[in-house]
Amino acid sequence: MRLWWPNAWLIARREIAERSRAKSLWITTAIMILGVAAAVIVPTIIGHHQSTEKVGLVGAAGPSLRQAVTAAGRVTGDRVELRAVASVAVARTELKSGALSVAIVDGREILIKKEPVSGSTSSESTFAGAVAELAGLVAKLSPAAAQTALAEGIAIPVRGLEGAPKSLTSRFTGLGVALVIYIVIFFYGMRITQSVGEEKTSRVVEVLLATVAPTQLLMGKVIGFAAIAFAQILAVAATFGICGVTVGSNAVHGTAGGVVLIGVLWLVLGFALYCSAFAAAGSLITRQSDAANAAFPLFIPLILAYSLANGVLFNGSNSFYDVLGYVPWTAPVAMPTLFAIGAVSAWQVAASAVLCVLATLLTARLAGVVYARSVMQTGARVKLRQVLRADAGRG
Amino acid sequence: MLELVDLSRRYGDVVALDELAFTVTPGQVFGFLGPNGAGKTTAMRAIFGLVSLDGGSVAWHGRPVGPSQRRGFGYMPEERGLYPGMAILDQLVFLGRLHGLTPAAARGAALLWTERLGLGDRRADKLESLSLGNQQRVQLAASLVHSPDLLVLDEPFSGLDPVAVDAFSAILSEQAASGATVLFSSHQLDLVEHLCESVAIVDHGRLVVEGRVDELARSGPPRLEVRVAGRPGALERAVAGVAGVERIDPGREGGGVTLTLARAADTQAVLDAARTAGRLEHFSFAHRRLSEVFRDAIGRPSAEGAG
Repeated sequence: MRLWWPNAWLIARREIAERSRAKSLWITTAIMILGVAAAVIVPTIIGHHQSTEKVGLVGAAGPSLRQAVTAAGRVTGDRVELRAVASVAVARTELKSGALSVAIVDGREILIKKEPVSGSTSSESTFAGAVAELAGLVAKLSPAAAQTALAEGIAIPVRGLEGAPKSLTSRFTGLGVALVIYIVIFFYGMRITQSVGEEKTSRVVEVLLATVAPTQLLMGKVIGFAAIAFAQILAVAATFGICGVTVGSNAVHGTAGGVVLIGVLWLVLGFALYCSAFAAAGSLITRQSDAANAAFPLFIPLILAYSLANGVLFNGSNSFYDVLGYVPWTAPVAMPTLFAIGAVSAWQVAASAVLCVLATLLTARLAGVVYARSVMQTGARVKLRQVLRADAGRG
Repeated sequence: MLELVDLSRRYGDVVALDELAFTVTPGQVFGFLGPNGAGKTTAMRAIFGLVSLDGGSVAWHGRPVGPSQRRGFGYMPEERGLYPGMAILDQLVFLGRLHGLTPAAARGAALLWTERLGLGDRRADKLESLSLGNQQRVQLAASLVHSPDLLVLDEPFSGLDPVAVDAFSAILSEQAASGATVLFSSHQLDLVEHLCESVAIVDHGRLVVEGRVDELARSGPPRLEVRVAGRPGALERAVAGVAGVERIDPGREGGGVTLTLARAADTQAVLDAARTAGRLEHFSFAHRRLSEVFRDAIGRPSAEGAG
C-alpha cells in the first residue's frame, strides 16, 4: 500500500520526538555512558598490566647475565630496560628514588628497594626472584653452555590438557554485556508496554485507528522505540570504543572486543524479538497500573538467563544453560554469556541467531493479531486466551 | 453520499446492529438518534472499520469504504482521546499529517482551528493542562484539521456549556454548507431539531424512523393546541365528547390542552365546544416536536420523562 510506510514513519517520528523530550532518557544515557567509560578507564589506570623493570648493572656484567635478565623478563611478562650504573652508591640512591627497580652488583648480588614480605607478589620482587634464579643458573654453566641454554630457551614449555580459558577480561566484559542486554530489553520493553497502554487508556487509539491500520500503529511505535534504544546503545558502544582505544585498555582488543560485537548483535536480535510482544502486552491492559502485570510473563525468560549468567561466567557452563543459548527467548542473554567463556563457536552463535530471527517473525505476527483484536477493547483487562480464541466481545 | 447498508453485529447474545441501513446525503447536518445502547456508537465505529461486522457494508459515494477514503473522514469518538502529555498544536499537526496533509498545510490548519476555537494562546500547552471543555474543543479541532468530506461526531455536545454548544453548532452548519457531510449523535433532541435537516432514529440496532425533520414534524395525526380562560377542567370536559377527538393531553405551555384528532375530525366542532368552556385565548394546529417523534418511534418513554 502506497501510504503504509509514510504513516508508520509519522507514528515513529512522533514517538521519537516525544520520548526525546523526556529528561529521564537523557539522564539514563548519561549514566550509562559514564558507567561504561569508568568500566574501561579505571581498571586500565589502576590495574596490573605489563610493567617495565629498570635494571641497573653495577660492575662486571657479561652477555650471559644480560640475556638471563631479559629471559627473566619473558618469564614474568615484564619489559626489561638494562643500563650500566656507575657505583653501588648511585644504584642505592636510584633504587630509593624509584629510577631503578632492580640493581645487579657484579653479577653476584641483586638489590631491590624493599625486602619482600613472604608471599609478596609485587612485580619487582617477582622479577628479582626470576633474575636471581636464572642468573644463578647461568653463572654455574660454562659460557658456551650458558649461551646455548639461553638461545634455546631455559624454560620447559607448559601445555594445558584443556585449551586456554578465556581471559578474565573477556568474562567481565561478558558480564557487562549480559547486564546491558538485560537492562535495555527490560527497560524499553516496559516503556513500550506503558506507551501502548497509554494510547489505549487515553482512548487516542480510537482516533488513530480511524485513519491508520493497527499494524501500522504497532510498527511505528516499535520503530520509534528501536531508534531511540539503538541511538542510546550506539552512544554507549562508541564511548566503549573511544575510551578503550584512547587509554589502551585490553577490553577493546582480542577476545573481549569480540564479546562486545556479539553482544551488540544479540541486543538487536533480542530487542526485535521482544518489542512486538511487549506492545501486545500493552494492548491487553485497560488501566495503566496493569502494565507491569501484563508485561511480567515476558520478563521471566530474561530473568532466568541473566540470573544464571553470573555462575556460568565464573564457574563454567552446564547443559541446562547450553540449551538456554538456543531458546530464542533466553538466547539474547545466554548466547553472549556462553561466547564470553568460549563455550560456543561462531557457527553455534549463528545457528541460535537464525532461530531467534524465525521466532521474531512468528512473534511479530502473533503480536499483530493480539494487538489488533484487543487494543480497541475497554472494560476489564483483556485475557490473552480470549483474544487468541476468537474476536472477543466488547467490554 | 454515505450509505450504511444492512449493518449487523452481535456481541454474544447482545444484538448491537440488526441490518441497520440509512443514507446521508452531502451538504447536510444529519442527526443520529436512539436511546442508550441502541447501537449508534457501534454504527459510527463501523464507518471507520473499528468494529468487525457480521454483515453489511459502508459505502462512500457508491464505493466500499477503505483506508484511502477514511483519510478524508473526520471522527470525534464518544470516548474522547488524544495524547494527554503532548502539546495541542503538535497533536493537531500530527493528526493532520496522518490524514495526508503536508507539514505546512497541517500546521496552517492547526493554527487556524486553534484560533477559531479560542485556543490561540494555549497551543504550546499539554492537553492534560486544559479544562474538559477546552479538551473537547481540541477534540473537535482534531476531527476538522484535514478539512474532511465526511464528519462523524459521537455525542459532540455532551458536557458543553451553552456558549460552546453555539460555537460547535455554528461550525457543524458551516461545514455542511461548504459541502461536507455531517453525521452526529446526540440525546439533546431540541438541539438536533434546530440543527439538523434530517435524522435517523435507531433502537435495538434497527432503524425505526428516518426522514427530514420538517416532514417528521408534520407527520402523524393532526393535533390542536387549545387554551381558554375558564375554570380548570372545564375545557377538557367540553371537548371530550366531540367526534374525532382521540386523545387529550395537558397543553405544552401552561394551561390548555393538546388534542390528538382523527384525520376526519371536524375542527369547527372542536372550536365551538372549546368556546363553551370560556373565552378562547389560543387555538392552533401544532407540529410534532422531535422529542415526540422519538418517543413514538421507540415506543416507550424517553429519557426526558414526559409521556
